Amino acid sequence: MSRFKLDRRAMIRGLGGVAIALPWLEVMGEARAQSSGPAKRFIAVYTPGGTVRDKWLPTGTETDFTLSPILSPLQAIKHRLLVLDGVEMRSAQGEQHQAGICALLTGTPQDGAFDNYAGGPSIDQVIATRISRGIKQHASLYMAVRWATGNSRGLLSPINATVFEDNASCAPIPPRLDPVAIFNSLFAGGANPDLTAQRERLARKRSILDYVDRRYDALAKRLGVADRAKLDAHLTKVREIELGVQVQEDALGAQCAAPRQVDTSDYRHDIGSTFEGATDAAIPKVGRYMIDMMVTAMACDLTGVGVFQWTDTEAKHTFPWLGLGEHHHFYQHDGGYRPAELERIYNWYAQQHAYLLEQMEAVDMGGHTLLQESVVFFGSELQEPPSHSKRNMPFLLAGGGGGLRGGRFVRYDNRSHNDLLVSILNLFGDGRTSFGRDEFCDGPIGRLT
Amino acid sequence: MSFWSCTGTIGDTGPSLLGGAALLPQTIRAPLRRLTRREYDNTVRDLLGDTTSPARALPSEEIGNGFGNDASSLSMSTLLAEQYANVAEDVATRATATAEALARWAPCVVAAASADEESCMRATLASFLPLAFRRPVEQAEVDELVLLQKEVRDSGTYAGSVAAVLEAILQSPDFLYRIELGEPDPEHGDRRRLTAHEMATRLSYLFWGTTPDPGLRGLAASNDLSTPEQVRAQAALMLDDPRARPMVRTFFNGLLPVAALGDAHRDAALFPRFNATIASLMRQETEQFAEHVIFEGEGDWVTLMTAPYTMVNDELAAYYGMSAVSGSAFRKAAVDTTKRRGLLLLGGVLTGTTHSNHTSPVTRGAYVMRKMMCVDIPLPPSELADKITPPPPYSAPTARERFSQHSVDPVCATCHQLMDPVGFTLENFDAVGMWRNRENDVTIDASGKLPGYEEGVGGPVDLVNAIAASEDGPACFTRQWLSFAYGRSFDTKDKGTLQAVTTAFADGGYDIKELVLAFTQTDSFLYLPREPE
Repeated sequence: MSRFKLDRRAMIRGLGGVAIALPWLEVMGEARAQSSGPAKRFIAVYTPGGTVRDKWLPTGTETDFTLSPILSPLQAIKHRLLVLDGVEMRSAQGEQHQAGICALLTGTPQDGAFDNYAGGPSIDQVIATRISRGIKQHASLYMAVRWATGNSRGLLSPINATVFEDNASCAPIPPRLDPVAIFNSLFAGGANPDLTAQRERLARKRSILDYVDRRYDALAKRLGVADRAKLDAHLTKVREIELGVQVQEDALGAQCAAPRQVDTSDYRHDIGSTFEGATDAAIPKVGRYMIDMMVTAMACDLTGVGVFQWTDTEAKHTFPWLGLGEHHHFYQHDGGYRPAELERIYNWYAQQHAYLLEQMEAVDMGGHTLLQESVVFFGSELQEPPSHSKRNMPFLLAGGGGGLRGGRFVRYDNRSHNDLLVSILNLFGDGRTSFGRDEFCDGPIGRLT
Repeated sequence: MSFWSCTGTIGDTGPSLLGGAALLPQTIRAPLRRLTRREYDNTVRDLLGDTTSPARALPSEEIGNGFGNDASSLSMSTLLAEQYANVAEDVATRATATAEALARWAPCVVAAASADEESCMRATLASFLPLAFRRPVEQAEVDELVLLQKEVRDSGTYAGSVAAVLEAILQSPDFLYRIELGEPDPEHGDRRRLTAHEMATRLSYLFWGTTPDPGLRGLAASNDLSTPEQVRAQAALMLDDPRARPMVRTFFNGLLPVAALGDAHRDAALFPRFNATIASLMRQETEQFAEHVIFEGEGDWVTLMTAPYTMVNDELAAYYGMSAVSGSAFRKAAVDTTKRRGLLLLGGVLTGTTHSNHTSPVTRGAYVMRKMMCVDIPLPPSELADKITPPPPYSAPTARERFSQHSVDPVCATCHQLMDPVGFTLENFDAVGMWRNRENDVTIDASGKLPGYEEGVGGPVDLVNAIAASEDGPACFTRQWLSFAYGRSFDTKDKGTLQAVTTAFADGGYDIKELVLAFTQTDSFLYLPREPE
């Protein structure tokens, strides 16, 4: 357990449009003026239903290219962007949408996996184990907007599972859905200026966790192998939280500037599949709020890894702010393929992605920006709705972490997306040459740095 | 598990769900179960009077066996552990906020002077901890919590330290998990039996979805739940109690495609009379219908599948175009039996198996075969993935024509003959559960087939009659209850139990209450294997 202290201040600009002083934490050693060495943060963003390919594909050469209509909102941050083409998600085997979302971050087929989820961990969790778990207050942050909207009936299902544990269970991980609870979990502690009160609160929490820890440990020993494994899995998570409490205690007094709180009382995060007009209308506001919290959590070093999921593969919500009254899946194929409406939806997602990247670029981490030390992956479960094809996936990378070189349109000759996942892991100093199901791996995809 | 391989031949008489050699029922140990969100809410309601449904803040269960209570699927995430702590803190804050709240579980705390603090804590734990842990507790278990209370007391109030103890209890495995250690069975050395308290807990969570009430705890304390007959008698009393109704509702909400009716979103221009209120009434119709058949009506599965009536109120009857029903309360009303009969032909089921303005025979057929016939339809093979394109909804006037490639192309046909011919028989019902004779001005051909059964099926009523007369229909209903009642996925080792219970189900005239009670009489319910797995 590394203990670290607040040792410098940095200016954070852009969040909420005002310059604010943000004390930030460096885990080890001195901050470098340039971000070099392995990447320090990873964010994955999921949007549903692929894209409209001929409105997505840029034109031009690797370094001299023009963004397509769908990607045009990313023009201002193009120098940090990599548009990838010619990547095939071969491991996406199973139901057409489900297999795509389960494979996106795991590189494993749905077919044959327990309960038809995925057969391996997702890269965000593997990266979290490497750079974040037990080191930062939160191993990772996984947030979703308007999740479990369709046939999953509000339950965790292969229809909506994106993130999988980095342990033998490879169990699907549920996302955080409640913006208020996310804010409280990340920033509420810092809202109380009374340090003694904060310290007492953490000590109390620690005493309770100590007891809980001992109970799981003692009871597990009395059970058979299978049941013991369940309690051990629970105990492991309790210990992860205990470590987080310790990190919090060590960081007490480091005032992390929380993002502006947003009133989300019109947004119901827990209704799962139920259609609700006000909740759909609040999606843009809630999405930006979650992005602000994600960026601030990274800037304050509360975590090193995040996954942001706009919805599930069912995508059964409407887009009232775009004047689109049917749900996304209706425009994909339920109501026949509607490329004009879809282009507007995907363009809107690109706008939101530009917002995320620009916020990250506005955070100074001591001579370099948050985006420069990060790797941001943007993907979907399929290429285009009418075919459900997994070739030429509409993938984007952004950032500069680990030497990632932006401002490029990189065309591959039909490479497996497992190889892309390998190269992303390589950016974090993980030297492996395969990831996910072996048969889909041909070695690092290369050309990222 | 798969009973038919799509690549093999599907004969006119496919192997039945019960087929093969007769097997002896085996004792299958349930995997360690954690309280579901529903069970957690009910449990803190009964223990502490907390009616705020705090478990809504916990992340979703895995869909698993379809009922959201599948212990084989339950996983543990950091978020869940974190939320258990947060929810426990909220519950404990409420439980210690007022004298009235404290009176429910820790009455002495209100007036405790500093000298009485430890003895009050001990008295509280002596009465409360056995309730929270659902068993008698040892002195050391009380001592450990008293130590915790003292530790926290040093830097806070007494009430705050009592709240901390409650928070710890609510996060402990003894509370969150249903621990079953069992005890030696004096009559059978090759198995263990549940302790009386463990049996009370099993019965209580199965029938009432909550912690044992004083009556059950009394039976456990006097050791009156030790024989199969005692268990059955108690189970029968519990099933007739109104507290068993949510169990039946939860079962049918998992079995039927009605939970997502809330987002059945249809084009108002095409379906001007359908709206969210109608969708919600349809959902209530399925609940009311199933409960009526089981508790007030004939009580048997054949009636459930083929009843000549439904349950509607004035608004829903008007929507369906049925003769006038008065009042907003649901009541029994006859249906036109040339068009509708039983559970499967309720508007909510037909709407819930449609995901857009257009019906899909694939979705409906797959639903019937998976949930009503327990046929496992495999995922499309990967080599086809790139070639599969759902037909555009405007490519032909009727669904049968739109999906014709499935029967023309032999590669598609191997699997789609399990789904489409069932779905075609339901085509007389549109995307909002209403009867239609024509689609796009073409007369609908609703003929089809129930895979595995020889005779053709001429339409929707024929289909439900065929299922009601089939061997796999009741076997599948039994299997669904087994998964739900035991809170896990069906295991191939359950086949002997399935055979025995299904046979008894048939012999008893398919009485559904008897079926549920039969699940309390199996070796899997009454006993544990000698060695833990």
